[in-house]
Amino acid sequence: MKKMIMTVMVLTAFSFSAFAMGADDAAESGDRPLKVALILSGPANDQGWNAVALQGLEEAEAEFGIETAYTENVGVADSEAAFTDYASRGYDLVIGHGYQYGDPAVRVGARFPNTKFLAIEGGSSSDNAASYVMACEEAGYLMGVLAASVSKTGKIGIVGGFEQPSIIKILEAYKLGARSVNPDITVYDVYIGSFTDVNLGKEAALAMADQGADVLSHSANQAGTGTIKAAEERGLLATGDSFDQNFIAPETVVCSTIYSVPVLVKTAVKAVMDGTFEGGVFNLGMDTGIVGISSYNGFDAELSADIKAKIADLEAKITSGEFEVPLVETRTN
Amino acid sequence: MSVEIISAAESFLAAAIRMGTPLAIAGLGETYSERCGVLNIGLEGIMLSGAFFSFIAAFLTGSIALGLAAGILGGLLMSMIHAFLSIHLRADQTIAGLALNFLSMGLTSYLFLVVFGRSTQLPECPVVGRIAIPLLSDIPLIGPVLFNQDGFVYFLLFAVAASWFLFYRTDWGLQMHGVGEHPRAADSAGLSVYRTRYFSAAMNGIFGGIAGSYLTLGLLGFFMENLTSGKGYIALVVVILGRRNPMGILLASLLLGSAEALQFRVQTMGSTIPSQVFIMFPYLITVVVMLFSIGKSKDPAALGIPFIRTKRG
Repeated sequence: MKKMIMTVMVLTAFSFSAFAMGADDAAESGDRPLKVALILSGPANDQGWNAVALQGLEEAEAEFGIETAYTENVGVADSEAAFTDYASRGYDLVIGHGYQYGDPAVRVGARFPNTKFLAIEGGSSSDNAASYVMACEEAGYLMGVLAASVSKTGKIGIVGGFEQPSIIKILEAYKLGARSVNPDITVYDVYIGSFTDVNLGKEAALAMADQGADVLSHSANQAGTGTIKAAEERGLLATGDSFDQNFIAPETVVCSTIYSVPVLVKTAVKAVMDGTFEGGVFNLGMDTGIVGISSYNGFDAELSADIKAKIADLEAKITSGEFEVPLVETRTN
Repeated sequence: MSVEIISAAESFLAAAIRMGTPLAIAGLGETYSERCGVLNIGLEGIMLSGAFFSFIAAFLTGSIALGLAAGILGGLLMSMIHAFLSIHLRADQTIAGLALNFLSMGLTSYLFLVVFGRSTQLPECPVVGRIAIPLLSDIPLIGPVLFNQDGFVYFLLFAVAASWFLFYRTDWGLQMHGVGEHPRAADSAGLSVYRTRYFSAAMNGIFGGIAGSYLTLGLLGFFMENLTSGKGYIALVVVILGRRNPMGILLASLLLGSAEALQFRVQTMGSTIPSQVFIMFPYLITVVVMLFSIGKSKDPAALGIPFIRTKRG
């Protein structure tokens, strides 16, 4: 009896976990619409990195009439199995959402030459496996320009998640952008070693505010929400990351970078449909519409025309290729 | 210049206290449990549950008091599950604790999704204000740091003193000690091992729930999946570092809090040391302190061992 009670409780525990992870698989069908699968590293309801990828897949489904499936919480160790599973079930395009899926995509790709593989933010490629890298540094640079322009103390700060190339390039571009406006500006940069710990994101930002920074930025996913709340609490300004984060603190968030994963996913699906999908590592920036910046929301009236014109001008130059934002993937001071 | 140094020191100490307080409150609760011989590594789950339920109640009612009550109940619920499994059903305490963490993670994420959906809004709840203690808060440096804090910090100071008194100056403390060291002897002496252990588990849940509530009602004002991000595990470290002594726990948590607060300040000073080194800070300190305290720590003899009253020997 006691064993039974325990079994029931443990099963309840696991079923709750499973609910939250929301495992999902589309049923297979005999017809031949294009079949696209998506592999996610975390839960799809993270209101960030994974949520936008799923959103892209859903938009592609509605737009192109494709058949889709996705798997959540796939660790690196299980990624080859996940790729193999979808490829052997006849999926035409299998997308791994994250840098870590680059190598598994290439390895599995060698065994399924007729299937296309894509690693978002990956770094490896083969004939049928591509990596699409978002040129996030382009938007990060503009945030630096904006932050330096609105700072009154001549000190600004940015909180990074993990110290890894995909984040470093944003923080370094931010610093370059800020210094292009004011060569003497102090830019504090802190890596907190977490994408999820909102309290750390907040404390890191408060440490910068204590030293006089009056504009706080981040590139730390969920943890960055803490950064924005810290700025709000201290009555400072902030910039958002990944999508328009003005809703978190309308009086605080001046502007946000936008990395449009949905557009990226649709670009890949379209390429496969048109037969133009090819292997390689591609940098996709403002010219593709995948990277951009949000509107100024409530700050539109407050910002001076000069600042807005400057940002718009830079945005146009980056889009046209006239100005190229340097790609720095190691941390500097 | 000296004014700048003082204000930098003030902000550093304030941050250290902010980051140490949840560790200390949760660690204090775990101490009750461990002194009686119940090792509950589900502390992370207890805190997460406390954080979630305190947030949801404060969000729905707008009342911090109700939020705190719900947070305590949330923590209590989790610890009672563990207590039932490990005391009554004599399950392996470590496994039950692990299960608790997963259960809490899944449950809170799921309920959060049910209540708020996949919204782009960030639901917020009220946050407690600070209470400045007259006169004392005017002392330079120490005043603003120690005597201009929120209620949770004052509660911690009170709880440390009260727990110390309970553990070392009352019969009840002796009873808990006996149950943790030699439950059979305690049983022979007419003490109820089960009742004492359940009481301690309840204290663990209450303190853990308050620690979780501090994150939402004291520091952040919002909830997100996996909000505790491993603080419950660090609180377990605090218990060992502080050797299950309330004063020791207070000091250990302040030490770890300072280490965390320090990492940001050193990074912003433009140091060339890689950030990963700073992120190791709190753990490095733990290892070093553990190294120097080898042999001194003495676990309760019956820690982690279920008590079976009807068994001989």
